[in-house]
Amino acid sequence: MSSRKSEPDILDSRGPSDTRGAPASRDGADTLRTAAPAPASSGWADTLKANAPLPLAVLGVALLMPLVDSRWFGAYNARIVMLVGINIVLAVSLQLINGFSGQFSLGHAGFMMVGAYLAAYPAREISNRMTDPASTLWFYLSLAFVSAVTAAVVLGIFLLVRQSRRLHEAVPTLLLVAMAVWVVADLSQGSRHENPPAVFVWSKGIVAVQRAFAWLMEHGGPAAVNISAALPAAARAPVTFVILILGAGTFAAATGLIVGLPALRLRGDYLAIATLGLAEIIRILIQNSQPLGGALGITGIPKYTNFAWLYGAAIITTAVVWRIAYSAKGRAIMAVREDEVAAAACGIDTTHHKVLAFVTGAFFGGVAGALFALYERSITPGYFSIAKSIEIVVMVTLGGLGSISGAILAAILLTLLPELLRPIAEYRMIIYSLLLVFMMLLRPQGLLGGRELWPRRRGPRPRAAATQDRDDLETAVVS
Amino acid sequence: MSDAAPAKTAAGGKLLVIDRVSRNFGGLAAVTDFSLQLDPGELVGLIGPNGAGKTTCFNLITGVYCPSAGEIRMAGRRIDGLPPVKINHAGIARTFQNIRLFQNLTVLDNVLVGFNRSAEHGLVRTILRTPKFSRERGAAENRGMDLLRTLRLDEKAALVAKNLPYGDQRRLEIARALATAPKILLLDEPAAGMNPQEKAELMELIRFIRDRFGVGILLIEHDMKLVMSVCERITVLDHGETIAVGTPQEVQCNPDVIEAYLGEPVA
Repeated sequence: MSSRKSEPDILDSRGPSDTRGAPASRDGADTLRTAAPAPASSGWADTLKANAPLPLAVLGVALLMPLVDSRWFGAYNARIVMLVGINIVLAVSLQLINGFSGQFSLGHAGFMMVGAYLAAYPAREISNRMTDPASTLWFYLSLAFVSAVTAAVVLGIFLLVRQSRRLHEAVPTLLLVAMAVWVVADLSQGSRHENPPAVFVWSKGIVAVQRAFAWLMEHGGPAAVNISAALPAAARAPVTFVILILGAGTFAAATGLIVGLPALRLRGDYLAIATLGLAEIIRILIQNSQPLGGALGITGIPKYTNFAWLYGAAIITTAVVWRIAYSAKGRAIMAVREDEVAAAACGIDTTHHKVLAFVTGAFFGGVAGALFALYERSITPGYFSIAKSIEIVVMVTLGGLGSISGAILAAILLTLLPELLRPIAEYRMIIYSLLLVFMMLLRPQGLLGGRELWPRRRGPRPRAAATQDRDDLETAVVS
Repeated sequence: MSDAAPAKTAAGGKLLVIDRVSRNFGGLAAVTDFSLQLDPGELVGLIGPNGAGKTTCFNLITGVYCPSAGEIRMAGRRIDGLPPVKINHAGIARTFQNIRLFQNLTVLDNVLVGFNRSAEHGLVRTILRTPKFSRERGAAENRGMDLLRTLRLDEKAALVAKNLPYGDQRRLEIARALATAPKILLLDEPAAGMNPQEKAELMELIRFIRDRFGVGILLIEHDMKLVMSVCERITVLDHGETIAVGTPQEVQCNPDVIEAYLGEPVA
């Protein structure tokens, strides 16, 4: 058929062949050379085959649900299982950012925090014990409206400042510094007044935003309550829950966009430091916000997250991240990771794909935060510190950058390990840390090293078809 | 000249028109008054001693650098100052002097990245994986395999790019560039590091690509034999300045060129 030899042992290490051992890989090479062209694919069969893990995972959760919920399983064990689930969502979502797009973010706890707080606050204050989905939705819509207007104003000012570059190159920087001083001075003075005089434009602006939000809530509230009352009683709580999760995720994604647009211009260490700093800014802003409970956090959040909801969310997160990662979009995202200059030269919009990965990751980070808040019943700003961010990064790195199943494995391991080591009390964290050190020494590429447990679709179909008329082409075409 | 101008404008009538482009790095004039015109189907060489500014010219055309002066037009539309992505979308693809493949992606994936612009799906369809998505993905993979087959890389489609032999990596880079469906292809020293036999194959390949895909090719190359035998026109650069333009024979006899390569004649 051809004079060239294919080398099965260096076939793509990410392929299914590798996880199944050598014989399978020789099989792969054979299909590659001899198989007759496969019949035209039927779309649905292909779709079903590619999605086989999904029903399996759902089945697994359904089977485990009675077990975990049972009294016999124990509250302590159940809690660990729940924390595993939340860490899976966090690790998988960060894998998209750190592993696939290669943008090393150290700020995932920041997005988790936005999600946690923006689920906890409406859950406690608005949702009326999870019975008022319409008001909860209205809360998010009002917040989105107010935020959008504010963002538009800030963006307008920013663009004006940027235009001033035409006067002189240094003008925008000077203007920004002057603006920053002005804003800080204004806010520090203006915030002393209940109703700041017009001199304090910025304080006035913030009060106006707050009032606009209050006005929206007040005037939309009664109608929303009526809508909720019209819903069947049994549907109210789950609908509220879903709205809380999606709303929190959306705002985390918006935060990701705002953080990402400037931060993603940086690379490597610089990006890591910038995301770290921005996550701290988020934490300190929330810590100093009185409506959000300040340093004490929010307590008395209704508890609604259970095993089924949490692991359902984990499955959806994994499926979405998987499908993005192993599609044309994911390929572009990985191309940007491999070589940004070459990707741009191949017509890939590098900024778009970096931001896409970042925002999607932030969304599911926020979802994890919301699930966490609605499980824990109380959250404090201290929980979402750098340490939490690093914990998630460790999971992703240990699992292997670019491996979704690796992130899941690592999330399970690293949540269980400290608990299993509990009997040895004070030596626990030493052993834990030593294990991490040895792991990185012995397997620097992580547990799975960029591979997946479940083979991602690499159909032999196009390759099989390709061998068909190779010979005449080779003679006709080259030489 | 307006955007609405037809594909071939009065300015020489060529698809790609580079008009007296210069670029300075601080006090250094890397390229001065570089002009060149290229149509689909043409094969033009760009030669010159080391440091003559050849790669800088490529970087100016592909948007890596902004020209300090001059204009670049593609089908009558100005493209100088656009970012590299937009220039690729305008129909110019390139390879790199030091190979820049997506090392950890497979050979097929490398090529499919080039197809991405025509084969990418919306986010919703990517997540829902509709049958249409699978069909289109299969079609894109088939197109990728077809392209690999024409460049004799199909048997290695499943390999990770960094495991390819050197010559194959060069060809894969060309395949990836072709996947973006360019009208103009810029090859930056494609024969670097190849043995004579590989170079001979490469010459055939370049001619074949020109004929098969109908692209205009601008070629930077050090190997005189290759350039002289393959190119129809040659531009010679030295210290950023164009010292000769013409057919291979004309250029070979040009005293300035001989001087640039061999030094001044002994009086």
